[in-house]
Amino acid sequence: MGQSARILVVDDEETICESLIEWFTMDGYEVGSALSGPDALELAADCPFDIYLVDVKMPGMDGVELLSRIKEKQPDAMVVMMTAHGSIPTAVETMKRGAVDYLCKPFDPNDLSIMMQRILTQKSLREENISLREQLIEQQEGFYDVIIIYSEAMRKIFGTIEEVARSSAPILITGETGVGKEIVAKAIHHKSDCCGGPFLPVNCGSLAESLLESELFGHEKGAFTGAVKARRGRLEMANRGTLFLDEVGEISPRMQVSLLRVLEEKSFTRVGGSQSINSDFRLISATHRDLPSMIREGLFREDFFYRINVITLHIPPLRERSDDIPVLADHFLKRYVQETGKHLEGFTQRALDILASYHWPGNIRELRNVVERAVVIARGRLIGAEELTFLNPRTDAASPCIGSLRELEIHHIRTALDACNGNIVRASKQLGVDRTTLMRKIKRYNLVRA
Amino acid sequence: MARNRLRTDQKADICIVPLGQVPSLAVSIVAANIQTVVGLNSKILPPFPNPEYAFVSLRGQYLAGKILAALESVENETILKLGLVQCDLCTPILKFVFGNSQLGGKAAVVSLFRLGSDEPGGMYLRAAKIAIHETGHMLGLGHCHVRDCLMAFSSTPERVDSLPLRFCPACKYEVARCLRHYLGGV
Repeated sequence: MGQSARILVVDDEETICESLIEWFTMDGYEVGSALSGPDALELAADCPFDIYLVDVKMPGMDGVELLSRIKEKQPDAMVVMMTAHGSIPTAVETMKRGAVDYLCKPFDPNDLSIMMQRILTQKSLREENISLREQLIEQQEGFYDVIIIYSEAMRKIFGTIEEVARSSAPILITGETGVGKEIVAKAIHHKSDCCGGPFLPVNCGSLAESLLESELFGHEKGAFTGAVKARRGRLEMANRGTLFLDEVGEISPRMQVSLLRVLEEKSFTRVGGSQSINSDFRLISATHRDLPSMIREGLFREDFFYRINVITLHIPPLRERSDDIPVLADHFLKRYVQETGKHLEGFTQRALDILASYHWPGNIRELRNVVERAVVIARGRLIGAEELTFLNPRTDAASPCIGSLRELEIHHIRTALDACNGNIVRASKQLGVDRTTLMRKIKRYNLVRA
Repeated sequence: MARNRLRTDQKADICIVPLGQVPSLAVSIVAANIQTVVGLNSKILPPFPNPEYAFVSLRGQYLAGKILAALESVENETILKLGLVQCDLCTPILKFVFGNSQLGGKAAVVSLFRLGSDEPGGMYLRAAKIAIHETGHMLGLGHCHVRDCLMAFSSTPERVDSLPLRFCPACKYEVARCLRHYLGGV
């Protein structure tokens, strides 16, 4: 029958357990049994089951209490209560506590078969619902994040994506901040054999190491202060899908060792856990950093680098593919026109010239931000040069600088902060100064973070 | 009806054991169909007594598991044993069963009690299908998700009627593979 569910039968009568194990084994399920509530919880702690068949009347911990304890640790577990003496009050109580069904022993074979089919359908629908919701949210958030392929450079990249997507080899995407590394990763995922599975992104640069560890590996209840219940990590949730490690260069060497082991063995344990969990996923990583330099400086492990970098895709910065700029600008214009309801038809030629000549240190993210701002302040039917004065072409590296050194510095700092989404650590690295210096300048010039 | 390669030896592989008052025609039809569809040489044993040791007065039925244990201890040169009973069978967890066996076990039992049919010969055909299904379990096959396969689960006599007298290609392959294991390359 090709069943994928794991079932645990809990009954103090051994013959009942044996009988049910025999029945479910015939149907191809993986079945376990326990003769008491505590035994069941111990088994489930090691490796949770999908479906529990629990006898109501058991010495010590009864079935109703066991139901509550199971639901506490596994809210999505499907629990069927069994009883030899059915009573409506008990049935109502167990349904209120989250049981999916309540059956009287002995069962009619037809009823048992129908119940299992219904539970599996419910489980499948629930999982599909969660997956579809996640896809919908992703679509809504990234609805306009389509990939513009116009320039020769991007056409070559997408040709490569078509070739590499089908393999399971880890891919490292490199490129400056804001070039669209995550969008490319999603494109690879959707063209790969993992497309039916989830796409799990993790921003390794935005989390402290301890939080990143919990985010990736998950944790057991009580693993640390605040861990009030067990939580699955991204590594576990990415099973049969794609795990996207964004800003992989920010991962500490210690975490790189842990991840290296996972990538090689395809198994790991949760933080605070002891049970080995298997997860088979496709790995895509991304970074704006120069990892080979970091390896030479001892900041990145060479063995980890070679593990994540079987295939490299480099996304060129926007300034190196200026053919894409008008197409992207038009795409973002349509998006924001739809959102704001403004009647804007396009850009003047002068505006397009300004956009084409700008340096774009923040790449596509900055372009999107610029177009959004221009749409908000636009008065006429076209976005002209007057809506783009904040770009200040005087700071373009290809143009001669005009204005005071102070104005130049203010604008450069502001541009870097915009490009890094206000992240001072990243902006300071981009500007080539330490964080304290940048903080001092922000304070001196009274700059407001983006 | 599926046919398997004819065996050249006459050695019996499965014995059919009537337990109590079982119509001899039903026994013969079951034996013949197991031989034809599954490919196991069948031998019919003389009737055994009704399995009163398996009777559960609280339920008014007979526990299939106890009959299986008794069949396994029947002295015979055959590897597999299939019991046929007229009485109503049950298990600790199920209200009734048409037949019962252990996956990969040596014994199976089929009850004619709930297989009565208005169609002439209907009961015998139902019994044959259940017997072949349980024999499949003895050979190690689980339930099949293909609706038109004898290894598909049937919880009503009508569902049994809808099954053709054959395995699906995957189960047929598996039966053949198991037979090679049991019968040593035949």
